[in-house]
Amino acid sequence: MPRLGIAFDRLGSLVAALALFAAFVLPFVTYRANRIVSGEPRLLLHALPTTMIVIVLAAVIGAAWVAVLIRRPSVRLIAAAVGLVVVAPAVGLSAGFVTPAGNSFARVSPASGFWLLVLAFGLLAADSLTRLRFGPWARLAALAVAAGAIALLLLSGAWHDLSLLKEYATRTDSFWREARHHVLLSLGSVLAAVIIGLPLGILCHRVRVVRVPMLQVLNILQTIPSIALFGMLMVPLGYLAANVPLAAAIGIRGIGTAPAFLALVLYALLPIVANTVVGLDQVPASVVDAARGMGMSRRQRLFQVKFPLALPVILTGIRIVLVQNLGLATVAALIGGGGLGTFVFQGIGQTAMDLVLLGAIPTVGLSFAAAVILDAIIELAGRAHS
Amino acid sequence: MIEIQNLSKRYDDTIVVDDVSMRMEEGSITVIVGTSGAGKSTLLRMINRLVEPSSGRVLIDGQDTMAVPEDELRHRIGYVIQGNGLFPHRTVAGNIATVPRLLGWEAKRIGQRVDELLQLFQLDPAEFAGKYPHELSGGQQQRVGVARALAARPALLLMDEPFGALDPVIRSKAQDDLLAIQRRLGTTVVLVTHDMEEAFRLGDKIAVMDEARLVQYGTAAELLTHPAEGFVERLVGTAERPFRLLSLTRVRDVVEPGTADGEPLDASIDLREALARMVWVGRDALPVLDSSGAMLGRVSIGGILAHGRQAP
Ligand SMILES: Nc1ncnc2c1ncn2[C@@H]1O[C@H](COP(=O)(O)OP(=O)(O)OP(=O)(O)O)[C@@H](O)[C@H]1O
Ligand SMILES: [Mg+2]
Repeated sequence: MPRLGIAFDRLGSLVAALALFAAFVLPFVTYRANRIVSGEPRLLLHALPTTMIVIVLAAVIGAAWVAVLIRRPSVRLIAAAVGLVVVAPAVGLSAGFVTPAGNSFARVSPASGFWLLVLAFGLLAADSLTRLRFGPWARLAALAVAAGAIALLLLSGAWHDLSLLKEYATRTDSFWREARHHVLLSLGSVLAAVIIGLPLGILCHRVRVVRVPMLQVLNILQTIPSIALFGMLMVPLGYLAANVPLAAAIGIRGIGTAPAFLALVLYALLPIVANTVVGLDQVPASVVDAARGMGMSRRQRLFQVKFPLALPVILTGIRIVLVQNLGLATVAALIGGGGLGTFVFQGIGQTAMDLVLLGAIPTVGLSFAAAVILDAIIELAGRAHS
Repeated sequence: MIEIQNLSKRYDDTIVVDDVSMRMEEGSITVIVGTSGAGKSTLLRMINRLVEPSSGRVLIDGQDTMAVPEDELRHRIGYVIQGNGLFPHRTVAGNIATVPRLLGWEAKRIGQRVDELLQLFQLDPAEFAGKYPHELSGGQQQRVGVARALAARPALLLMDEPFGALDPVIRSKAQDDLLAIQRRLGTTVVLVTHDMEEAFRLGDKIAVMDEARLVQYGTAAELLTHPAEGFVERLVGTAERPFRLLSLTRVRDVVEPGTADGEPLDASIDLREALARMVWVGRDALPVLDSSGAMLGRVSIGGILAHGRQAP
């Protein structure tokens, strides 16, 4: 069907509308006289020096124009990147601009306008990345560039005046301790689940009668809400700690890391076992028959044929679980398990939104990075023969 | 030599292979043919013990296959299946190297063997060694499947409908290649098919199976001239029989002295083709040349027809 006039891009129009609305109508930053009082919104037009306002508006309007009218994904990606590269340091600059000189109690945090701009540019970037169909290596490189840009902003001090970084500055040590703990808890629980889940999956694949009951039990575990599961584990582990000196000696307690770790392992088991079973089952019968006919033993068939062919499916299970546990580990803080959730719950308790974000933003970033990295690995693992 | 003695296979109450005895000569091609579900694959798979016989024995060169550990037995027997069963995660070279690797050959020897086989199957090693199966055509995949089965120089090759997935043209080429390679290497081949043409074309001997039983076992000529009553007669096809019989004989074997006019025939073509040629050009006789171009004599329609007549 021939089109009349200019062809508008539907997603692009949405992005443009969001960006313009965010830039002109919504507050760019929130100013508060101290950490916990409620704040006053500042529009972009009042939150930056004039030259900077011109630059930001130029970037926003330019990106909106490209989003609506230009279809080439590479151009759209560049527009989105320019938008992000301008807006991200601008919010840091705005914090310094809005804060009265010498006032160390005042807090400036990004407001809805900023977040909506980031969302709009992020959508545009994600859409153009999808259309560009980057290979796994290019996606990893894009992730590295994004991580590098964020690190540069952090290290250069461009965001130094933002309230989030002020929260960080007062608890640098505990931030890194909890972050490390969070990563270890998530990765460790996934690793343990893989070590337990792979043999269970192989068992289910081989022994048909085990399969249904095993998957059903894991399914039920998966449906228990996380807080309930933490609570349920506190009882037996507490009993263990009180009655078995060895258990107490290696750090098992009713509350703390042990029940959190155990719960995360249990949550991770179902996707890993189920994907291992599915992955092994879908290896073509003719391939297995040929392997048997050439004199491969059961073990050789498993490790040289079935396992490599099931690997992409198994890795998909591991990806699901890793992303899931990076998020779930936040809840572990509720039972004293530590991790970035500590800041989230402290922040909620003190109604200090910045503290909540100090825990939440790195968690989201970690999950996102884990998803991108594992997607790339899965594609590389399956690419040769798909 | 393979000797099958009173071999049977039963699943619960159904008998799938019923008391089959036969002997396959060293260096020959035996084709097992029959309708779907007749028990052909089961019979074949009992030779390398992919299926454990319910009763009876298989002797290879006088040795009972039960006396050898099953994996070791299979290392010595090539095995090719329909749709080739290539490993999708391994390259062509990796696929062909499977059994040599299981046997612990040195890397250098494996590499040489892979190149040698690729050349034998007319696949340029530089181009094909590093490719994955999904990058090959059906015919190329099939050749790699046979090359893989031959990698460790087995004296015996089992093939279960190896050409079943190929289109007619490629299929015919693959059959010719198999014949040439088999003659060259002297491998004993047992091949399963449900295609009668294929059986006649490839089989030094043909075993016909029907409903779990071996109903006839003999050369192509024996099957055509003296088909067992009932199933084999129908399978061989009454109308087609004289033509099939003709295609078993070469012009070379019916050359008469004398000369004739017209485009000469090659001595190596079969009588069916020679007859077709004569009908087409409208001559009763044509001259015959051998491969070097020397005149051997002539062949006449009368001579050919005499050959296609039912044996007394
Ligand atoms: N594992 C098994 N369990 C039960 N029955 C089986 C099994 N394997 C084969 N059969 C049955 O044995 C019969 C013979 O099977 P087989 O595969 O040997 O036939 P075939 O002659 O090779 O047929 P096709 O030409 O279709 O491949 C079939 O009826 C089949 O259903
Ligand atoms: Mg079969």
